[in-house]
Amino acid sequence: MEDAVSENRERRRFLKCLGASSLIIAPLGCSSVKEESDSNKPHYVMVFDQNKCTGCGECKDSCNVANNLPDGKSRVLLEQLSGDSNDAQCLDKGTEDNLCDRKYVRVSCQQCQNAPCVTVCPTGAAHRDKKTGIVTMDASKCAGCKYCIAACPYDARFINNETDVADNCDFCLNSKLVKGELPACVTQCRYDALIFGDMNDPTSYVSKLLKVKDAVRIKPGFGTQPSLRYIPIVKVGV
Amino acid sequence: MDGTMDFTIGLSNGIAWPWPIAVYLFFAGISGGALATAIFIRFYKKQTTNTPLYKAAALISFVTISLGMLCLVLDLTNPLFFWRILVFYNLNSVMSIGVIALTAYIPLTVVICLYALEEEIRSIPALSMLVPIIDKLRSVRQPAETAVFVLALAVCAYTGFLISALIRFPIINTSVLPALFIASGISAGAAAAKMLAVSLFKADRHGHDMKLLHGAEWPIMFAEIMFIFMIIMSLMTGNAGAQSAFEAFHTGSWAAVFWLGVVGLGFGGPLLLNFATSKAFRHSANAFYAAGICAVSGMMCLRLFILYAGQNFAI
Repeated sequence: MEDAVSENRERRRFLKCLGASSLIIAPLGCSSVKEESDSNKPHYVMVFDQNKCTGCGECKDSCNVANNLPDGKSRVLLEQLSGDSNDAQCLDKGTEDNLCDRKYVRVSCQQCQNAPCVTVCPTGAAHRDKKTGIVTMDASKCAGCKYCIAACPYDARFINNETDVADNCDFCLNSKLVKGELPACVTQCRYDALIFGDMNDPTSYVSKLLKVKDAVRIKPGFGTQPSLRYIPIVKVGV
Repeated sequence: MDGTMDFTIGLSNGIAWPWPIAVYLFFAGISGGALATAIFIRFYKKQTTNTPLYKAAALISFVTISLGMLCLVLDLTNPLFFWRILVFYNLNSVMSIGVIALTAYIPLTVVICLYALEEEIRSIPALSMLVPIIDKLRSVRQPAETAVFVLALAVCAYTGFLISALIRFPIINTSVLPALFIASGISAGAAAAKMLAVSLFKADRHGHDMKLLHGAEWPIMFAEIMFIFMIIMSLMTGNAGAQSAFEAFHTGSWAAVFWLGVVGLGFGGPLLLNFATSKAFRHSANAFYAAGICAVSGMMCLRLFILYAGQNFAI
């Protein structure tokens, strides 16, 4: 029950915060005060709960629609990971009597705080949005050199064949967040496997969740400080 | 618990930078290497005339960097977006700094061509409008040559820094890559300039410039071999990612490109032609061109190997 309502509650809180912060930030933008310190800036994170993801793929479809992407293209993918044990037994089994793990992992831009794509982009097209700190694209500046795609340690960027410019998951910054809505995949996920919010807000659901849940980041050794957190399926007793 | 979750698929579909980028790295290396060599010899030997080697290097540096730029532009998803790289800058980006270096370097190679080919230009009536420009530029020849010498080496190194910033690929993400690209650029650029100097500008194959270059060939090749050896050793003894990338040297078709192309053709070719043949053949024109072509092809194989094997063996 707690989980089922969490998303709606989070959405309400998000809308409230966005409204409140715009009131605070708008006058700041007009005044000549220096940039706010990092602690006042939001740090938007997304949590992927592997325990809840069924691999239905509706997140991909909603992403395609929300961001007007070419047919079949999405800024997010799901990879099915084979179970840790008895791989051979997992093959050729129907979904009904398959006793093996059905684990999925979200593959998308990790929203690094130290983002290689932003560093290497020669034109500043791949940039960090000033207000939200989210890594996003200015399509009008992108020259299509693909440096960002080669530089991304997660291979999470791609060329949009319709616009010929690079693209990445920016938490639906321009399609949803500006309207005060949650990212399309988060709204779409009926299993509550995706949670989105501001980690710098101690009262946000993600902050509270990450305080009590063990979450991991992908390839942290690259030093990119990704903002996507994954709650993995952990075997009982480990 | 970090590291308990990972994914293996990606969104980009295939390698981001295909062969035109390798060709661009190749041309930029030849251009910078040829010009740096010729200007170094001019300064070192205090030459005041336009030697055949200088003319050849000037022509090669301009032609190859132009072809390289063509590769670069055609590899953009939409070549018409090229102006954006010239208008918007990000000084944290190696590519942006390279663009700044190239916008200074390319016009300077044209200026060097004007200096070098003055006699030829004067002899062609159609190009007579260039003569007053050459006369005006004559006073800044020394500073222009100094600047282009530094820029030529910078362009060679830049092609290395450009790709060594890609942290996902252990073969590419190495600190010796810029040095390796300078060394291989100089050896292939010098070989290309030598061949053109003899064939087009009628240089004596046993003249002073050629002797000097011929003597410098081996230490530069030794440096290249050392750099490649250093990369191999660091991968072999490195962490899990480095060790898996080491496979590129012994499995798959890119290993063949490395051993046959880079080592066999690029290093073995010139060495065998110079040390394992009769004295008569060694000093023949055939051996001269064969060794030069070996050096240039070896360098192309090196760029192809680094780029493709590098991107295929990601962490």
